[in-house]
This record gives sequence, C-alpha cells and structure tokens, in this order.
Amino acid sequence: MEKAIYRAIRNGRADWKMHALSVFSLAVAFVCLASALLVVTNLDAVRDRWSRVGRTTAYLRDGVEPASVQELREALVRTPGVKQVRVVSPEETRRELVTESGDASMAALPPQAFSTSIEIDFEPAVADGDVKAVADKLKAMPAVDGVETYARWSERLGGLLRGGVLASLLLAVVVLGAVVSVVASTMRIVLERRKVEVEVQELVGATGDYVRAPFLVEGAAQGGMGALFALGLLAVLYAIVRARFDGTLGVLFGVQPTFLPWTVALGLVALGTALGASSSFVSLRRMSRL
Amino acid sequence: MASPRAGTQYRPNAMRPGARFDRDAASRPILVFEDVYKSYRADQPVLRGLELTIERGEFVFVTGPSGAGKSTLLRLLYRAETVDSGRILFLGRDVARLTAESVPMLRRNIGIIFQDFKLVPHWTVFDNVAVTLEVIGLPSRLIRARVGEALERVGLAGRGDDPAGVLSGGEQQRVAIARAIVGEPAILLADEPTGNLDPQLAIDVLGLLEDIHETGTTVLFATHDRSLLEIRPRRVIVLDEGKATDVRRGLTVDACAPGGAWTPAHEFDAAARVACDDDEDAGLTDPRTAPAY
Ligand SMILES: Nc1ncnc2c1ncn2[C@@H]1O[C@H](COP(=O)(O)OP(=O)(O)O)[C@@H](O)[C@H]1O
Ligand SMILES: [Mg+2]
Repeated sequence: MEKAIYRAIRNGRADWKMHALSVFSLAVAFVCLASALLVVTNLDAVRDRWSRVGRTTAYLRDGVEPASVQELREALVRTPGVKQVRVVSPEETRRELVTESGDASMAALPPQAFSTSIEIDFEPAVADGDVKAVADKLKAMPAVDGVETYARWSERLGGLLRGGVLASLLLAVVVLGAVVSVVASTMRIVLERRKVEVEVQELVGATGDYVRAPFLVEGAAQGGMGALFALGLLAVLYAIVRARFDGTLGVLFGVQPTFLPWTVALGLVALGTALGASSSFVSLRRMSRL
Repeated sequence: MASPRAGTQYRPNAMRPGARFDRDAASRPILVFEDVYKSYRADQPVLRGLELTIERGEFVFVTGPSGAGKSTLLRLLYRAETVDSGRILFLGRDVARLTAESVPMLRRNIGIIFQDFKLVPHWTVFDNVAVTLEVIGLPSRLIRARVGEALERVGLAGRGDDPAGVLSGGEQQRVAIARAIVGEPAILLADEPTGNLDPQLAIDVLGLLEDIHETGTTVLFATHDRSLLEIRPRRVIVLDEGKATDVRRGLTVDACAPGGAWTPAHEFDAAARVACDDDEDAGLTDPRTAPAY
C-alpha cells in the first residue's frame, strides 16, 4: 500500500499540472454542493430556533373589560407548561413597534390603533400539541380576536428547508457526474501518457492490482483534494460574509450563522475520495484490459 | 496491493489449481511447442502446426523472413497472444491454458528484450531495472543490491541515477537487458534486440547475451539479421510457412553459403533456403558494413 502511494506520488509529480486542473474542476463542483449544505445547515438552525420559541400571542378584541383580561391571565398562569404571561397594553405595543422598526410615523398613530394582547411564553420542554391546545382554546373565547402561534413561520421555514435539501441532493448528483467525468478523462490522458510504463510493468509480471493501484490512489487523491479545496474556499467566503454582516444576520434570524459541522465537512472529503477512487477504477476497467 | 506476493520462483502449482507437482520437470525440455496454430486473420495463418523443442540451457537463434512469425512465436510464449490450437509447454505447464491471473507468474520467469528497448525514458536507469523486482514486492534493500549487480553485469555500473532517455541506443539496450535478467528468469527472449543498433553494438549485445547464457539461462534470440548467426556456432531455427525447421545444431557452418560444408541434421529444405534468400536481399551479410537502422 505505501509502495502504491509512493508510486502514485512519483507518477503524479510528472503529471502535476493535469492533476491540479482536475482538482480545481472538482473543487468548483464541490463548492456548489458545500454551499447548498451550508444554507441547509443554517436554515435548519433558524427553523429550530423558531420552532422552540414557545410563544403564543393572543390579540384581544377592542373594549374587553380589564377584569376579564385579568381573569384570562390568571387562568393561563395556572395552565401547565406556561412559563410566563404578559399583558401588553396598546401603548406598550406602539412603543415597542416604534423602537423596533425605528419608524417614527408609528408614533403618530393613536394608541387606539393597536389592540391589547397577551403574550404567553411556554416552558422550553412543552410539546407542540399542548401549545396548539392552548391556542385553540383561546381562539374559541369571545374576547379573543386572533391567535398567533408562529407555527406558520416554522412551517414556511420547513418548506424552505425541504427545498434546500432537494437542491443539495440535485447538486450532489451533479457533483457525482462531475467527479466521474473529470476523473475518468484525467485517467484516460494519464493512462495514455503512461502506456509504456504500464506495458513494461505487465511485461515483467505485474498483476492487474499492482498496475491499477497508483491510478486508484491518484483518483482518490483528486476527489479528496477537490473536496478539501472547496471547503477551504467556502470557509474563506463564509468568514468574509460573516465579518461584514455578523450583527445584522443574528438580529434578522435570531441565531448566529454557523459553518458546516465537522462531520459534514469530513463526509464531503470522504465522498470525494471514494468517488474519485471508484470512478478511476471504473474508467480503468473500461479503457483497458487492466 | 497489500496481498503477499509470490516469490520470484515460477510456481507451477500456483498456475493451475489442482495440478500435481511434476518431479520430472527438471529433466525435461524447458520449452515445447506442440502443433501450434495461430492466425490474426482467418485467411492468413502465421503459424501452422509449429513443432519446436528447446532444452534447458540452450542458446537458440530463431530466424526467417520478415513476417514469418518470429515475434508471434515469442508473444505466444509470454502470453501477449494466445494460440488458436496446440500446446506450448513451458517448464512443463501449458502456457496456452493459463488463467489471466497466472500470466504475471509466467512472466516473472521470462526475461524479454525488444528492438525498441521499451524503457520508460523519464525514469532513471535504476528504476527501469528495479521495476522487475518491485512488482514482486521485494524489499528495497534487496532491490538496490540486485539492481546494482545487474547493472554491473551489463557494464553500466554507476549509471543508475541517469535518466534512461538520455542514454545511447546501445546503453539503453543494456538497461533493458539488465531489467530482463535482474529477476533471474529461466528463459531470456530477445526479439530483434540488435535491430536498432549499429553492427559493432549488435555484436556487443550478442556477446552480452552469450555471457548471460554462460551462467545457465536459456536464450531464444529472434532475428532476421543473418550476419549475427555467423559469429558463433549456435542452433538456428528457421521459421517459414508457419513451421519451424532446424537448419543447424551447433555447427560452425554457414548453411546458406553456396557449397557450404554443412552436414544436415535434416534435409536442407525449402524453408531454410527461403530464409537465406530473404536475408541476402536485406544486404546484411557483413556486420561491419551493414547499415544501422
Ligand atoms: N496484432 C496483429 N494483428 C494482425 N496481424 C498481425 C499482428 N501481429 C502480427 N501480424 C501479422 O502476422 C505475421 C507475422 O508477424 P510477426 O510475428 O511480427 O513476424 P516477424 O516477427 O517474423 O517479422 C505478419 O504477417 C504480420 O503482419
Ligand atoms: Mg518481429
């Protein structure tokens, strides 16, 4: 095995330009796949954050008696799984909106333009079903105008996520095709260049495995290095984007962006290596009697 | 890759599973062609019922006009081609029926040199010779020692680090010979090894192969260069019309010279005469004046 790697390095040095070109083409394909995975990873984090937000807001009808508001509040506080209940007056709502949006025109609106609302925070461990049950009960009450559970947010993100996963799968297929065709054509050229040495090896009694081994090592190295190179490139891009928009992104999505987990990164490199070796093997089988 | 390699020794049992070890093999001819037929195209048979026996330790010239099938004969032996019918017994085993997996084992017992040397030009002289031992997985310490010895035998001691491509033709053929003998094969096949060398170098290469023969290696030397046959008394086999004919068995006599005092082991037949005519056409009777090509 070490001998095969040594021979692959000796051969690879002679054809380094072609290998570099091949690694670069593979890296381009892998950058696409890795960025799709990066988007999926962060989308998943956002969805996770919002699905566990555990907050429900009930908007009350205009003119509800403060006493019944208080009654409702106490009933909610007694409900298992509820952590905190806060009654937000129209004035508070207006103030929050003005500070959050920075839109001064909001301040001009009278408090009557906003309704009283109740914000219910659940324990983090509470089941989705329980949240939904509370929301349904609130909806049925005459004093309640509408209920926001943020479930739709989470659903929409889930839809985006599914799209992202699908795109990644498609890109994975594209990458597969790219690896197979790039490695196969590199091997075709390399084999053509090394016709004499392959012939010599066969003449002196090399087995097929012996002759094939360095080609497989080279294919594996190309695939693995292509993936590694792509990850490096993506990491640099990610660092640049993050440095410019760090705060903004965090506020916008409620989570800090993350790079690909190391398991995914390692998986990409392993995928590249395995694909490179196997497409080299297949192309050798096709091209010659090796 | 990681699998243990078989040694340099030809292992008949490993070639054909279930074959019994033959204790008489050592006393039998090293190589026997039995009724061998071979054609590349149906209408142009190259070998037609060829019969040939070569004993251990012989030095044999195989000659005949260009296209007679000399290269084909050798290629059948090292399994670059397969026979259409007949048997080729090498060390008692039928080469024609080896499985593809056994062919490398066969070739580890055969050293081969060619007219065009077949060296890897960007490899060093050392690497070009070492490849024979590398494919059988010998430790590098042993490889260094044996390659050094082989280079010494062919007169290239100290040239190991030179790229093979920069050497002269004669030197390149010596590298190829070192590569062929470094694995200590049972037989050495030479297919027109002097074809690309000028006459003096051709004689040097012949001398080198004779030295190797002296140490016990069987040598099969295919050439259409008749001048080489005159240098020393060797067995000569003429290939013509798809058959092999012995025209000389170690006699210092020119079978082709008019009125040559050759005592035929067989009748001097048409095949031999055709071969001689062809060679005269080639104008290579005198090695000193023959053109280098
Ligand atoms: N691979 C091949 N395909 C088709 N014909 C071949 C091939 N190799 C050799 N021949 C033909 O077989 C005949 C014998 O060739 P060869 O063995 O090379 O003769 P020699 O070595 O005696 O000159 C020639 O007619 C040649 O054209
Ligand atoms: Mg020939």
